[in-house]
Amino acid sequence: MITLTDFMLVSAALFCLGLFVVVSKKNAIQVLIGIELMLNAAILNLVAFGKYDRVNNGGQMFALFAIILAAATTAVALAIILNVYRQYKTIDPDKINRLKD
Amino acid sequence: MTATVANIDNSQIVTLVLTAVTLPFVAFLINFLLLQKSKVSGWVSTAAILCSAILAVKILIALWNQKPITAQFAWFQIGITRYYAGIWLNNLSVLMLALVPLIALPVHIYSTAYMKHDSGYGRYFTYLSLFCFSMMALVVMRSMLLMYAFWELVGFSSYLLIGFWYTRESAAAANKKAFIMNRIGDIGLLVAIMIIYAMFHTFNMDRIFGEAGLIRKSSINGLVWTTLFEHMSAYWQYVAAAGLFLAVAAKSAQFPLHTWLPDAMEGPTSVSALIHAATMVAAGVFLLGRFLPFFNGTELHILAIVGCLTAFMAATIALTQNDLKRILAYSTISQLGYMVMGIGIEAYPSALMHLVTHAFFKCLLFLVAGIVIHEMKHIKEENNLDIDPQDIRHMGGLRKKLPLTFLVTIIGALALIGLPLTSGYLSKDGILIHSFEWSEDNVNRFAFVPVMAVITTWITAFYVTRMVVKVFFGELQLLKSNPALSLHLTDGGLLYKLPLIFLALCSLFPLFSFNPLSYEHSWLFNGLASNFLVQKNNYHLFVPIIVGLGSVTTMYMAYLSYGKHKWAFPQGGFFNRLSSNEWYIDAFYSRVVVKGVLAFSCALYWFDKNIVDGLVHLLERIGLFLSRVSAWFDKYIVDGLLHTVAAIVEAIGNFARRFQNGKVQYYLYSMLLAVVIVFVLKLLIWS
Repeated sequence: MITLTDFMLVSAALFCLGLFVVVSKKNAIQVLIGIELMLNAAILNLVAFGKYDRVNNGGQMFALFAIILAAATTAVALAIILNVYRQYKTIDPDKINRLKD
Repeated sequence: MTATVANIDNSQIVTLVLTAVTLPFVAFLINFLLLQKSKVSGWVSTAAILCSAILAVKILIALWNQKPITAQFAWFQIGITRYYAGIWLNNLSVLMLALVPLIALPVHIYSTAYMKHDSGYGRYFTYLSLFCFSMMALVVMRSMLLMYAFWELVGFSSYLLIGFWYTRESAAAANKKAFIMNRIGDIGLLVAIMIIYAMFHTFNMDRIFGEAGLIRKSSINGLVWTTLFEHMSAYWQYVAAAGLFLAVAAKSAQFPLHTWLPDAMEGPTSVSALIHAATMVAAGVFLLGRFLPFFNGTELHILAIVGCLTAFMAATIALTQNDLKRILAYSTISQLGYMVMGIGIEAYPSALMHLVTHAFFKCLLFLVAGIVIHEMKHIKEENNLDIDPQDIRHMGGLRKKLPLTFLVTIIGALALIGLPLTSGYLSKDGILIHSFEWSEDNVNRFAFVPVMAVITTWITAFYVTRMVVKVFFGELQLLKSNPALSLHLTDGGLLYKLPLIFLALCSLFPLFSFNPLSYEHSWLFNGLASNFLVQKNNYHLFVPIIVGLGSVTTMYMAYLSYGKHKWAFPQGGFFNRLSSNEWYIDAFYSRVVVKGVLAFSCALYWFDKNIVDGLVHLLERIGLFLSRVSAWFDKYIVDGLLHTVAAIVEAIGNFARRFQNGKVQYYLYSMLLAVVIVFVLKLLIWS
């Protein structure tokens, strides 16, 4: 029997992997992938907690809603990355340090 | 005479007096502002003094033996005390008022010729007019304050004229000396005026010294001096009298302040004639006349003794001098000594009469000296000689070359000696006779005074004869050493002759008395002597005879010695050296007083440099040291603190800015770290 804890552990592992990817990768696309991983960890949690709302299936509804939002944000993020590339001729987040000072 | 007076009322008289006094001042202004370089200046001054003289004589005739006239207006006010400026005309002041322009007039006329070729012609007459104005104002002033002001002005114009040839070092030194010595007297006068004002609460001299003046209601009992207003220690009266004496001694060249007068001969001779023989030096005697009631018996005795001593001393010095003007200067001092002595022995009318007569004949003698020196200068310049034109040893035999000059000299000399038929006889005998009476009144305690005075007249006869003989008799001494001398000597033009003749006539008896042998018949004496008792006694017979015989004897001796060379004084003896070195008084002053003052100022200089400046320097060092300490404190403590703070802030900032490196991942990482730390801490605290 797969328990809630197992789901939570998988979700936590997935979140940590996503976080690691976001922090460590030298490519903005990969960072975006890391974000998607963390988002999916959150969605997995929503679905797992959805067993406590069998009537309205709130968990599943929120998961669907989040997936749609993720698709939208990814589209916007890709557009930003494209513009960043045009501006800096690179998408390495280490080189883009205009936020300094 | 009363009819004349009735026609002229007081206000007219006052206007006349003010006009007479102001005219020379107007001349001074015109000359000073417009005519400095012009030869017209001489005639402007002369015209002014001529008008003054006419007015003054008119005033003299109108006011002689009349009641004193006073006029005044409020001058200024301090608090509730009003100060007045005014004039006080009594016999003494109208006499002096007439005397000054009468002497000044011939001197002015003479000067127009005498100073003709001098480059400072305009300046000379400017100063001369200033002097005449000051002198005439001095004698009529009513307020002691104003009198003091003109007293100073007289001294100042005398200073200017002594140093007229200011490029000569000796003239500059002489005018400085005269000025400094007169300052001593001025301070005395100022002190006396202040004390008198403190005691009598007024500057008006006629209120204090006039008839029934305040001075008669004051007295000295024991050690307290009481007037209507105040009482003070009697010492203040002595101090005031001493101050007045100083003033008189300085202005009238009495011992011990006489040494400036012989040096004052550095000025032009005409100036010496007017200022340093006839008028200014008489100001001291005039002052005594004004302040006479102020002196008590002892003070008058001191005056008499000092005057007598001065007369004797100056006469003995004149015996051996070789400078023509210096001889005359010492004889002036000697005659002034007579006047002061006359005041001291309470022979007030005789003393003032001597002042008047002396003014005429001494002015005459100086003008003669001017001509002689002028001619000697001509000889010197024509023949390129290196001589002192004033030295009588070079002169002689001028009798034939300068006949008129010689004639008037004889008149002047006889008047100076005091032989009958001259004015000098009248006044000098008055003083001498009175001195014997005075000595008798004082139980012969001061018998030496009249005796010394008589001896002095004999000495006077001797040195005057010596001078006249050396200048006019015998042969011109210069011819002995330079036989090929070219001589062009004349008496000079009318401008020279007229003043001489005028003064010579004034030196004879008719101007003063129709009886040539009795001074009591002189109008001048009677006018001044109204309050004085005149006793007839044997002295009136014996004294003139003794004086006359003695004088004639010494004159003959002098003639034998210097004219005929029958005998001569032993040279180089003690008395000879004493006399020719002027009693070593100047030497004493320069050794003791001048050296003392110099040493004192050196000491003051040292004190200034080392103590006063030293203190300042010490303060400066302390200040510097303190500022160094505070600079160090500022730099290392105050600034250090700030720098430390700044450095800490900078370090923190530098540390903090490392986090702001603009890398998104880094920020995220930091955030994560912070969350983890918070989480760990929370766990630790909870457990």
